[in-house]
Amino acid sequence: MRVELDEYAHLDSLIHRWEPRSKLVGLLALIFAFAFVEDVRLLPAVVVVTTVLYIASRLPLSVLLKRLRYPGIFLLGIVVVLPFLSGETVIWQWGWLTVRQEGCWAVLLIACRFLAILITGFVLLGTTPFLTLVKAMRSLGLPVILADMTLLSYRYLYEIAGNLATMRQAMRLRGFRSQSKSERFFIPNIGNLRRFASLTGTLFIRSYEQSERIYKAMRLRGYGNARVNHSAIASTPKSFFSDHLSLIAFSITLLTATAFFMTELLLYFSSP
Amino acid sequence: MHIPDGILPAQACIGGYAIATPVTWYCLRQINRQKDPTAQIPKASLLTAAFFVASSIHIPIPPASVHLVFNGVLGAMLGYHAFPAILIGLFFQAIIIGHGGLTTIGVNAVMMGVPALLAYHVFQLRYHVRRGRSDRWTTGIFAFLAGAVGIGVAALIFFALIITTIPSGFNATTEQAAIYGLTLAHIPLMLIEGTFTVMLALFLQRVKPELLES
Repeated sequence: MRVELDEYAHLDSLIHRWEPRSKLVGLLALIFAFAFVEDVRLLPAVVVVTTVLYIASRLPLSVLLKRLRYPGIFLLGIVVVLPFLSGETVIWQWGWLTVRQEGCWAVLLIACRFLAILITGFVLLGTTPFLTLVKAMRSLGLPVILADMTLLSYRYLYEIAGNLATMRQAMRLRGFRSQSKSERFFIPNIGNLRRFASLTGTLFIRSYEQSERIYKAMRLRGYGNARVNHSAIASTPKSFFSDHLSLIAFSITLLTATAFFMTELLLYFSSP
Repeated sequence: MHIPDGILPAQACIGGYAIATPVTWYCLRQINRQKDPTAQIPKASLLTAAFFVASSIHIPIPPASVHLVFNGVLGAMLGYHAFPAILIGLFFQAIIIGHGGLTTIGVNAVMMGVPALLAYHVFQLRYHVRRGRSDRWTTGIFAFLAGAVGIGVAALIFFALIITTIPSGFNATTEQAAIYGLTLAHIPLMLIEGTFTVMLALFLQRVKPELLES
C-alpha cells in the first residue's frame, strides 16, 4: 500500500484554495444531488458539472483513470447483467440473447451517477490534505472519539501494513506456500487456514501491544485531560467564508445542487 | 460486499445515514459511560487499522481465493467500539482504495456494523453458559457463531438491499427467492469465516487472552 491520499493536495487551483469546511459541505451537497438523479434527461447536466469541476481542480487525468480501475470492475458487472435481464421492451434479439430498453437506461443512469459521485469525491479528497479534512469535519460536529480514532488509525495504517508485509515475507522464507498441489477444489486447507489465523492473530497482538505503548506516551503528554484536549484540532483560524472565492464557490455549488434536486422533483411529479 | 456509489437510489443512502447516526450515537454513549473512555481509543484505533490491513489477506480456496469480512471478529473483540471502527474503516476503504463510496458509507456501516454488534452480544453469551465447562470449548463455539452471524446477517442485508432497489422487471416472489438463494449461497463463506474466527479466537486466548476480554 502506498500513501496516495495527499499526493495532489499541494497543487494550486481554484478548488485547492477553497476553504475546507465550505468545500466539504458544498461538494457533499453536490454528491447527494447527483445521487438523487433518477431521470436520464438530467444526465448530460451531471456530466457537464462533473467535467467542469474536474478541470477546475487541475488534477491529472491519469490519476483518475488509475483510481477508476478497481471500482470499474463492479460497474462492468452491472453493465453486463442489467441490459439482458431487466425490463420488458426488447430492442435487439439474437437467439435467446435479448437486449432490453429499460435495462439499458438503468445502466446509463447507474454508470453516470457512479462516475459523477466518484469524481466529485475524488476532487474533494484530492484537493484537501487529509488532516485538514478531518479538522474540517471535527469543526462541523464530528464527535471527538470518531475524529481521534480516524487520525490514529490513519497514522498507523501504513505501519501495520508494513508489519504484515514483513510477517508474510518471514513466512515465505520459512517455506510457507499458500497453495499446495494436494488441495481439493472449494475446500480450504485446514492447516493453511490455521496458519493464516495465527498470522492475523499476531498482527492484532502486535497492534494491540503497540497501542498500549502509544496510549502511555499520549497520556504522559496530557491526552485525556479535558482542559488541553483537542485544542489543536478544534481550533480553526479561518472563518467559514474567509475569502470571496470560497463564498462564490460555495454559492455556485449549493445552487447547482439545489437546481438538480428541484428539477428532479419537477420531472418526477410531471411524469405520468 | 460493499455497495458502491450511484447504485442505490438516494432515499436508500439517506436511510442508511439515518439508521447509522443513532446507532453511532448509542455506541459512543456506551463508550463514554465506561470508566475511562479515552483509554480504549488507541486500542480501538490500532485494531481498526489492523482489521483494515488484515482484510487484504486472501485465503486460498482453490481455484479462487476469498478475503474475509471480519465484521464478526471485530464485534467480538471491540464491543461497542466496533461500529465506529467499521465507520472509519469504510471511510478509508472509500477514499484509499475506492471500495464502497461516500454516499453509501451509512448503508454499508449498517450492513456491516449492526451484525458486528450482534456478534459482540453473541460472543458475550459465552460467560452465561460457561459454568464449569472448559474455556476452550465455549470460546470456540461462540467465536464460530459470532463469525458466522457477522457475515450471514450482512449478506442478508446486502442482497435484500441490492435486489429490492435496483430497477428490474423481477416480481416479488422472484426477488424473495433470489434473496434467499443468494444468502444461502453464502453458507460456505459463513462456515469459512466462522472456522477462521474460532482459530483466531483460540490463538488469541492462548497467546494474549486480554484481547478477548472487552
